[in-house]
Amino acid sequence: MSSTTCVVVWVSCGSKLENITTTTHQKSVVKCSNNNNDKIRFTSISSAAVAAASVPSRSSEEKVYEVVLKQAALVREQRKRRTIEIDDDFMTNLHLLNAAYDRCGQVCAEYAKTFFLGTQLMTEERRKAIWAIYVWCRRTDELVDGPNASHITPTALDRWEQRLNDVFQGRPYDMFDAALSHTVSNYPVDIQPFKDMIEGMRMDLRKSRYNNFDELYLYCYYVAGTVGLMSVPVMGIAPDSNSSTETIYNAALALGIANQLTNILRDVGEDARRGRIYLPQDELAQAGLSEEDIFNGKVTDKWRNFMKGQIKRARIFFDEAEKGVSELNSASRWPVWASLLLYRQILDSIEANDYNNFTKRAYVGQAKKLFSLPAAYAKAFLGPPKLTKMIMR
Amino acid sequence: MLWIELSITFHSMNSFIKKTMTIFSLQSQFLSCKIPQIPSHSKATIFRENTNQQFTLSGVSFLKPRITLCYSSKDGDNTPSESSNFCIIEGPETVQDFVQMQLQEIQDNIKSRRNKIFLLMEEVRRLRVQQRLKSLRKVVNEEGEEETNEMPEIPSSIPFLPHVTPKTLKKLYTTSISFMSGIIVFGGIIAPTLELKLGIGGTSYEDFIRSVHLPLQLSQVDPIVASFSGGAVGVISVLMLIEASNVEQQEKKRCKYCHGTGYLACARCSASGVCLNIDPISVSSTSTKPLQVPTTKRCGNCSGSGKVMCPTCLCTGMMMASEHDLRIDPFD
Repeated sequence: MSSTTCVVVWVSCGSKLENITTTTHQKSVVKCSNNNNDKIRFTSISSAAVAAASVPSRSSEEKVYEVVLKQAALVREQRKRRTIEIDDDFMTNLHLLNAAYDRCGQVCAEYAKTFFLGTQLMTEERRKAIWAIYVWCRRTDELVDGPNASHITPTALDRWEQRLNDVFQGRPYDMFDAALSHTVSNYPVDIQPFKDMIEGMRMDLRKSRYNNFDELYLYCYYVAGTVGLMSVPVMGIAPDSNSSTETIYNAALALGIANQLTNILRDVGEDARRGRIYLPQDELAQAGLSEEDIFNGKVTDKWRNFMKGQIKRARIFFDEAEKGVSELNSASRWPVWASLLLYRQILDSIEANDYNNFTKRAYVGQAKKLFSLPAAYAKAFLGPPKLTKMIMR
Repeated sequence: MLWIELSITFHSMNSFIKKTMTIFSLQSQFLSCKIPQIPSHSKATIFRENTNQQFTLSGVSFLKPRITLCYSSKDGDNTPSESSNFCIIEGPETVQDFVQMQLQEIQDNIKSRRNKIFLLMEEVRRLRVQQRLKSLRKVVNEEGEEETNEMPEIPSSIPFLPHVTPKTLKKLYTTSISFMSGIIVFGGIIAPTLELKLGIGGTSYEDFIRSVHLPLQLSQVDPIVASFSGGAVGVISVLMLIEASNVEQQEKKRCKYCHGTGYLACARCSASGVCLNIDPISVSSTSTKPLQVPTTKRCGNCSGSGKVMCPTCLCTGMMMASEHDLRIDPFD
């Protein structure tokens, strides 16, 4: 699939439901002082990752970070469950609601098999919530990327956003909206990441080239980082976690970005065939590559060097994400670790293909996938990095 | 002769056609519509010349007078603003757009839109012919041999086999026939000659049955009956497999969100079609009237049908909205 799908990001994320609002409130009082440190650390990592030396006055990373801060703050504020006026029968009609959730599960199983298997590692409630969010994201993505994408207009996206607002106000339009509406009434999910995803779709309608990493970062945030932010409230944060909410949200964001970058690096050939190049133009120019090189699809040494740098950057984001996974609810950690490890292996697979992402599809074989499960389990429950490294080798 | 006339009408309709944007913009029936008016007489006269002939198009035959009547309806009701307003996602307000129209208005609107659909279909058909001709020429030039690759990929109905083309079909025939003759030869000539027996070391069938302690009547099965049963079992199981494979193929083509129905359950009325009338109950209890049973009203979301459009397949029920769908082929 093309890079605009946020499907594979979903291989992450977790399980047990905890009341994260009260716990994080306590933590935030203590941990406020760490915020600045987090911010400095975060931007330094990203700027280290950015090839270009100059940082614009307000880089995408800063803007995105502000969104993350707001999300974390919102979570702290919501001490009680959001009370939505549910005046629809659908939401109270349990039979229909269950049918809707089942349908969501079927769609998920159809389009994202590995992710669906990952959701089986979660609790029943969380699984259904994740399915509902997944289906909404996929429907949104299909608006610009699906079979009827040629008929989509900006008005259609506005109408879709209006429907999203209705969902968050308890007035869903159809059965899938109803499942999402029920989910957001049960979990402290905020509407902003959803709106940002629609914004990302709008961006995808107009843009097929990205001038620098800053623009690409913003796009990755819109289509994949938002997914991380949407799912943290569902996963729940461990009550004994010592990290601030911001750190965890940052880690989720980093995981989303890492996944999207991996997608992009894996699908270079496929995207090029549709006329899209997601790799930053300035970095391509720096490596001495032009668009023709990409469209021709030949692997040269220049290409190999370029890809090495890109993969290194994606791995930095994965490392950043790893810091937050252990802070999630203990039952959520296993699926998230599994997805993280699996997706990291796609980068290894690109390397093993001699950086030929034009014609060869980098995928992780079934055996490796299965083996990631116990490795992830070890990471999730056993903890010490040395032990898990031994198992991985 | 037919086509010349049609091309005349085609040219005169050009300006009219240019106003219609895409085939889906014709779905502006979802937008608020103006009353269709009878256009200028000039257009009507051109078409009246062609009233006397009947012609068939792609196997669909219809009389020209009907077309004339249709053409005479309003041509400009698809104003640019309306076309650009149309979008494929329904919302709770848009369903009401046509509620105000009268029956006759609605019928006239439907007729005019069907016309436009027909003209656009015709345009598409001709463009495709040109496209096919041009791409064929290109293929011939490049490969030096004629390869008409018009057919879409035919998936094989035998499970686990790759795509089927006329070439592979021939291969399949030869393979199957050789297999069958080989088995017949083996069973009829080779096995009796070699005295191939079921049991190890040349023991007979009866001894074999005895050795595995199965009921002895199995050893007395008539060979003709045995071969008939074996053949029948084979055929039936194959038919079963093919049918299962076929169903799986068809399912793949279905839209996964609405399961091929094209519609999703309306959430506002829980697919029932009616919503409760929720009026605020007055607090002042001057009257001691008991609380009345809440009345129901027609659901505004779905206009009482209980179903709303599936935005992924746009009510086609298929993964890919194809040409063979009722909206595209409305003359049914």
